[in-house]
Amino acid sequence: MSYIEIKNLTFSYNEKTNVLEDVNLEINKGEWIAVLGHNGSGKSTLAKTLVGLLEPQKGEISIDGLIMNDEFAYEIRKKIGIVFQNPDNQFVGVTVRDDIAFGMENLCVPREEMLEKIGFYAEKVNMLKFLDSEPANLSGGQKQRVAIAGILAMQSDIIIFDEATSMLDPFSREELIKYIKTLHQDGLTIIMITHDINEALLADRILVMNKGKVYAFEDTEEIMKKKSIFTDSHLELPVSLDLANALTETQEYKEIREKLWEYALMK
Amino acid sequence: MGIRFNEVSYGYSSFAQGLYTAIKDINLEITEKNEFIALVGHTGSGKSTLAKHMNALIFPTSGTLEIFGHTITNKRNKKIKYNDIRKKVGLVFQFPEYQLFEETVEKDIMFGPMNFQITKEEAKKLAKQSLKLVGLDDSYLSRNPYNLSGGEKKRVSIAGILAMDPDILVLDEPTSGLDPAGKRILMDLFKNINETTGKTIIIITHDMDLVYQYFNRVLVMNDGHLMFDGKTEALFQKEDVTDYHLDYPNTIKVLKYLNQELNLNMNVFQKTTAEALAEIKRAVKL
Repeated sequence: MSYIEIKNLTFSYNEKTNVLEDVNLEINKGEWIAVLGHNGSGKSTLAKTLVGLLEPQKGEISIDGLIMNDEFAYEIRKKIGIVFQNPDNQFVGVTVRDDIAFGMENLCVPREEMLEKIGFYAEKVNMLKFLDSEPANLSGGQKQRVAIAGILAMQSDIIIFDEATSMLDPFSREELIKYIKTLHQDGLTIIMITHDINEALLADRILVMNKGKVYAFEDTEEIMKKKSIFTDSHLELPVSLDLANALTETQEYKEIREKLWEYALMK
Repeated sequence: MGIRFNEVSYGYSSFAQGLYTAIKDINLEITEKNEFIALVGHTGSGKSTLAKHMNALIFPTSGTLEIFGHTITNKRNKKIKYNDIRKKVGLVFQFPEYQLFEETVEKDIMFGPMNFQITKEEAKKLAKQSLKLVGLDDSYLSRNPYNLSGGEKKRVSIAGILAMDPDILVLDEPTSGLDPAGKRILMDLFKNINETTGKTIIIITHDMDLVYQYFNRVLVMNDGHLMFDGKTEALFQKEDVTDYHLDYPNTIKVLKYLNQELNLNMNVFQKTTAEALAEIKRAVKL
């Protein structure tokens, strides 16, 4: 049994058109999944059903053997955290310290333990210096890292990043990506929704959503060889692989093609 | 003469940080016609503060600012009709789609122009015209803005600014949050508006691929200073772009890697994948 299992999931906001249609997925513990798809393909809706923010009309989600229903939703939410696109939309605390505490307060973690954890996880995301800072004095990347600390403090082991880097400048983006890599190394399960193909290349597997359906779900290296999956789904391959695919498979371009692949898959 | 910054600095004061200078000694000229300018820089570099000066949304702390003949200093001047400036220079904030509020697309677009003493009929006509400029047909007029996709909402909100017929349009990260196809559609649209109407368009972006492919002129902000004002090609030919916390476009990065790994001597300054491909083929043939 996989860590995350999604069976026959169908979701619609208005009961006319399905935003998600018969989605079936299995994700293993510790995997890094990238989710790609055009605007309106159902990526974010999928994320919201996974954390129990939206209730699907049909189908079933189970995480670590627990089925998402009224009985277990509370348990499941502890396991899984989500970082949204706009860092300002999820900063609830007056200071960094308050914000990291928020999730634990809801779980009634004892004060002593909470203080200890705040320090520990603030250090982990390199925000210890900023514990008393207000959100107005933090950059977008810093706010995203605070959100991660809050999730880690709840002992969640699955983190969904819903276009969490799209509002960051390249420098903060790179910093956040570096951080996600260490989370992956620590064994967390990462689900990263993104429009950035170069970010998606870092994942173990890539899920392509198209009009509410799972269009493809394959190993990163395999899926990158199939240009049609991307063009069919209004997505673009990275420049390096566009070039590699455009060069004929003859001897004269062999070395260049290999180097282009190497470049694309550099982690 | 469109906009001219003369030694403009702007400082914020806050309890936590004391006085913080967001932009320092900026000298800059932007003509009111035919310019297509990218404004880049890391978060906190001062790009948005610079943009907010362009329609006198904020006043310089020191230095002077000339906008269509009006001189803006740090004191409010009763003789200046700031409304006129805001009509000449339209500013579109990041995620403008959050600012849609009317029940139909038509009403939403009409809201801006109606503030400038025109009749309802004229405003309706403007709504229709500007919706066409952003590539949406008349059937959208009666639709509810909340039921549109992200890309459509963005276009409706941009139409709202276009309806005020500004000479200069300033947009803060208009393509963020869009998929690659949506990005290109929107950029093509801006380029088209720029070419057909002659309006000067200034776009804040982090996407160096877009900067390289679409823009002639680029402004680089770093730590409040205007570090570069010139041709896009010239910027990326510099060796130290990363000192400004900027990245190189992907085509350049990939070709540089190939040159280095395979000891090739390709010209790395290719804007599109097609051009890069041609350069690779040329190098292999040699």
